[in-house]
Amino acid sequence: MPAPEAGAGPRDLVAATAEPRWVRRLLIGTALCFLALFLFVPLAAVFYEALRKGWDVYLAAIVEPDALSAVRLTLLAAAISVPLNLVFGLAAAWAIAKFDFRGKNLLLTLIDLPFSVSPVIAGLIFVLVFGLQGWFGGWLREHDLKVIFAVPGIVLATIFVTFPFVARELIPLMQAQGSEQEEAARVLGASGWQIFRRVTLPNVKWALLYGVILCNARAMGEFGAVSVVSGHIRGQTNTMPLHIEVLYNEYQFAAAFAVASLLAGLALVTLVLKYLVEQRVKAQIRAGGGPGE
Amino acid sequence: MSIEIRNLNKRFGDTVACDGLNLDIAAGELVALLGPSGCGKTTLLRIIAGLERPDGGTVAFHGADATFADVRDRNVGFVFQHYALFGHMTIFENVAFGLRVRPKANRPSEAQIRSAVTDLLRLVQLDAVAGRYPHQLSGGQRQRIALARALAVQPKILLLDEPFGALDAKVRKELRRWLRRLHDEMHVTSVFVTHDQEEALEVADRVVVMNQGRIEQDGTPDDVYDRPATPFVLQFLGDVNLLPLGDAQGYVRPHELTVLEGADRCAGDGLPAVLAQTLTVGANTRLEFKRLDDGAYIDVEMPRGEFLALRDRLNLQIGGEYRLRPNRITRFVAGERVSAQ
Repeated sequence: MPAPEAGAGPRDLVAATAEPRWVRRLLIGTALCFLALFLFVPLAAVFYEALRKGWDVYLAAIVEPDALSAVRLTLLAAAISVPLNLVFGLAAAWAIAKFDFRGKNLLLTLIDLPFSVSPVIAGLIFVLVFGLQGWFGGWLREHDLKVIFAVPGIVLATIFVTFPFVARELIPLMQAQGSEQEEAARVLGASGWQIFRRVTLPNVKWALLYGVILCNARAMGEFGAVSVVSGHIRGQTNTMPLHIEVLYNEYQFAAAFAVASLLAGLALVTLVLKYLVEQRVKAQIRAGGGPGE
Repeated sequence: MSIEIRNLNKRFGDTVACDGLNLDIAAGELVALLGPSGCGKTTLLRIIAGLERPDGGTVAFHGADATFADVRDRNVGFVFQHYALFGHMTIFENVAFGLRVRPKANRPSEAQIRSAVTDLLRLVQLDAVAGRYPHQLSGGQRQRIALARALAVQPKILLLDEPFGALDAKVRKELRRWLRRLHDEMHVTSVFVTHDQEEALEVADRVVVMNQGRIEQDGTPDDVYDRPATPFVLQFLGDVNLLPLGDAQGYVRPHELTVLEGADRCAGDGLPAVLAQTLTVGANTRLEFKRLDDGAYIDVEMPRGEFLALRDRLNLQIGGEYRLRPNRITRFVAGERVSAQ
């Protein structure tokens, strides 16, 4: 942008578009009140409720075997679904951004499906397919395999729900970058794998990390789809969100809020990471992500 | 390495990009593919590089068929209009890329890579910026780096796709002289695509004028400018006045007309016309005349000094009547050139 000329300085521009002071204060005040009421108060309430009965109760609720089992299961589901969706998302984004093929729009729509379908429906689909009365129910029982009301079902549901995050983050960036750099690398003699590793991947790494963070947050926090397929077996098929619900329904408020505070803490960490990575993504776009820049 | 192209065809849906192209490029030549946008010149270049597959026809390098050879085996260098530098690598690593991705067996040692890259950066006069990143460089510098990167793999053929298209006028002029000098030093067979006739005429040994997937004319810069094969070539290479001459079309370039004294003084030849306006741009002056007989406009161009002398001699005035004598008319009958005199 050219430097503003003397006389028509930035101050004049601002003055020309600015609202009167009281309008500005009113708007900013309204936004802050809304944020406080709907975001900060509930967050503070979670930690307040969790710690209200003291550290001992808080710690006891967290190290209780069922709670630990829920934490383990949540971490397991995330540990399986996030890497898988990283690979799926990268492959899908690569195909969509760099190649033209029939059914590309259909694929794009399918990737968005988990966003548009209610998680409960997603869970029900898995019950219909893998449940005892479902399509593969008989076959699974003959081979003594359990999917629904067991860990595999929870992992499947989590993968389904978190599928779009990585792909959706990468596709716009990769499309904006075009394939000129890949072509340049190919002419210079790089193999397909070398192009991917040395050119494509470094160009999207921050957006990829951003997608993974969002994907992970959703994987750990997912309730609806997992609730349908889990069966709520304590100590076995309860994830953290499900465990919180069970505790809450049993009027164990302190314990419920203690486990909830773990999830909330995770969300805060995610937010900080997301903010940091976002800065890098922006820097990367400025530093020559797009074609011609 | 020479390039031989035979009966090359390529379509994109309904658009014909290459329509039975035949072209020979000798080893060491610097050839310009010139034409309006969408004429197929970039597609032809990309087919030579192997980035695009032809629907029919063949491309051979030094007599050996390479139509379907993999891009990596063609040993070509390619320079993109928008540079396509690797944004996350330093300038040094950009230039070194082609050497680093070689299979271990014929990959140069780190010391060899270092000296080769340093030499290339010196060649493009940018050794001072080796540690910087592409976004810290100007457009002209980036394109020179792109060229150095392409040359690092010692290509037998250098292909440039509108290499100066994204640069401003002054940098463009410097770079095309520099490219010409570079080619004179290295003698690598080079093909560059452009839509700028001045660029093509100034830089290339040979100009191939394309239109709608076909080659209109193929010749030296003087050939295509002075002896255009078709009205398209004539009109694409600079301004021209159209003079209907019976069943033929006559074309006269603005600098090929002499302004004579007034129309009322009987004296013989020339088209009677009224001076409508004069415009001086840089070293040349452009005079716009309106013909007295059919009202069509004719442009005359001459050096500024000549114009000043003429103005004093004929007492040139806007609205005054004069006669225009063509010194040379190129005639076409049904698209075929019949004479130039």
